Amino acid sequence: MNLQVLESQFWSLCLQGVALGFIYVLISLGYTMVYGVLRLINFANSEVFMVGTFATVVAQVGILQNQTDSQPLHGFKLIYTLLFALVFSMLICGFLGILVELVAYRRLRALGTNRLASLISAIAVSIVLLETTRIVTYSRPQTSPRLLDKWSFGEFAGANFRIDTVMVIVSGVTIFFFLDRFVTKTRLGKAIRAVSMSEEISKLMGINLNRVVSLTFFIGGLTTGAAAFFYTTVYETTQFNVGFNLGLAAFTTAVLGGIGNLRGAFYGGIFLGVLEQFASAILGSQWKSVTVFTVLVLVLLLKPNGIFGEAVQQTRT
Amino acid sequence: MNKKIQRSLAVVSAATLLFGVSAVSSAGAAQKTVYLAFQAPLTGANALTGQDELTAAKFALSEYNATNPSVKVELVIADDQGLAEVAAVVAPGIAANKKVIGLIGPAFSGATQASLPAYKATGLPMISMSATRVSLTDKKAPVNGFPIFKRVVANDKFQGPALARYAIKGVSSPSVYLVDDKTAYGKGLADYTKPSIVRDAKIAGSDSVPENTSDYTSVVAKVKASGANVVIYCGYAPDAAKFVKALRDGGYTGIFAAGDGVLKATFPNNAGNTAAEGARLTAADVPFEDVATAAQMVAYTKLTGISKPGTYVTSTYNATNIFLTCIKQGVTTRPGMQNCLTAGSFKGIAGDTIKFDRYGDIIGGAAVGAFTIKAGKIVYVAVA
Repeated sequence: MNLQVLESQFWSLCLQGVALGFIYVLISLGYTMVYGVLRLINFANSEVFMVGTFATVVAQVGILQNQTDSQPLHGFKLIYTLLFALVFSMLICGFLGILVELVAYRRLRALGTNRLASLISAIAVSIVLLETTRIVTYSRPQTSPRLLDKWSFGEFAGANFRIDTVMVIVSGVTIFFFLDRFVTKTRLGKAIRAVSMSEEISKLMGINLNRVVSLTFFIGGLTTGAAAFFYTTVYETTQFNVGFNLGLAAFTTAVLGGIGNLRGAFYGGIFLGVLEQFASAILGSQWKSVTVFTVLVLVLLLKPNGIFGEAVQQTRT
Repeated sequence: MNKKIQRSLAVVSAATLLFGVSAVSSAGAAQKTVYLAFQAPLTGANALTGQDELTAAKFALSEYNATNPSVKVELVIADDQGLAEVAAVVAPGIAANKKVIGLIGPAFSGATQASLPAYKATGLPMISMSATRVSLTDKKAPVNGFPIFKRVVANDKFQGPALARYAIKGVSSPSVYLVDDKTAYGKGLADYTKPSIVRDAKIAGSDSVPENTSDYTSVVAKVKASGANVVIYCGYAPDAAKFVKALRDGGYTGIFAAGDGVLKATFPNNAGNTAAEGARLTAADVPFEDVATAAQMVAYTKLTGISKPGTYVTSTYNATNIFLTCIKQGVTTRPGMQNCLTAGSFKGIAGDTIKFDRYGDIIGGAAVGAFTIKAGKIVYVAVA
């Protein structure tokens, strides 16, 4: 056990944990939105994330013609490039989400098949996306150029407030805020919540179920695409199997906070990010998963529906 | 769940290896054809290593078949995902196919160990291009590869101390932080590196970070808190690139060193413009582009679509050519191949002489090379 690291790195670990947590939050929204509506785990979401990371690289290198050894950009060009890549990744993932729903869920849902069938078809889509990307990329990691110079706002109590760390946190909060408002305040958001509460009664109220489900997958894809953009901007690399570990972490986030619950995903992600950082630093990285999943089991024993599962039932998606 | 399905598919693959190949061979009965099997991870998390190696085997074979030989050689490709449990299912399929007279691989040590019973039972000679676990050629080990196993790569017993020596070379008061990736390869190499660090330097700390980890900031925090001036990483290139980038972004300015799993032309690119600069790498494998002729590189790129060959391409090319040399000498059976490998002397692409000892290692040990990164390119320095 290495407690010495806390003396100089405590706040640094907190900050990095929160930043990592926000990436988990954004991916987990993809799981939690779909679960809220369909009561199904969308296992293909991790591969939607993976596709989003490649979409970010394609936007930056293929479309905007930045070279992998490009110098960092500045001013308008930087903002334009980052925003373009963000929107591109979000849209690709959003439409891929709709496609996944059409291919893996809709027909099976219409036929009234067993839920396991949808689960398997989602895994099948996941494997198809994974292996196709592997073949297309020759299994090689793809590098994203360092377009954002990683300057620092300053160091406070040992925590380095680097631009990419701050950007992830601020953007994560903003995206979550707008999504939360969308789900709770808008007509479409209310439709999503209505379907979440009762599919049958929603249909009787004239809600177009297929449209709402597609919309949910689209929104889940948008947030996952945003996560993919931030991941690629911070770590500057991706690989065909990048979705597995991050998808697992995001799924854990969703369960920890209470799957189907937006705010649960928010706090669950931050909690998981910070917990991972401290577990790795104090106990060693080899104990990270053991710690995380022990905590998950303990939380579920005490609160079977996750930390926020029951408390805010009415606001879930 | 994903992995479980893939493992089940391996059972189907094993059956395909057995029956599929038999069907192919009967169609081409008019011409004498022998088969070499190739076993490595071609899908899953470690697919990159196996796919790189496969390009080398295919390339060596294309060169051989282009000479219009009297005996045609074809490749039977098996995917063990680098996992022992998958290899244990795949290996009997290859072993049972009597048309196969030699095996290039397996690529990973764990998979090799799990495959050995099937190959030993059927006397299939094998040459691994990248299985570095010491016990595979250790006569005292309970499960070694004697007599069928050979390898064209230096085992970790040689590479570990060489890596430690090279990493701390010229550093005053070296204080080393040792990180492995928890794989059999990474942990094994770290275990053989550690005694030399303890003897010649100070251990500042150590950590085992699972492969495919995305975020290394907690490890960077520990490295900084420990005051280490040398970081040795025992793992593979994709993770090393992420780690070294996180180290440099986190303000670490000391030495970064790593073993043969990192010696890939893609490593400096993936690590960014400057992060990998000056990194110290060791390997029993020389970058293929450094030893191949220009014409060979053009042909290799044309065949594979890859312009920057990965790790173990040279060793796989050598392993394949050793089999092909024996076939050129008229060998078409497993016992014949076993005799040829045991008694023969072969030439590597770099002009080196390869002769195997009784337990399967190259006599005199495969040399461990020292490399560094200069201006984004891997540069050979000396023998470590």
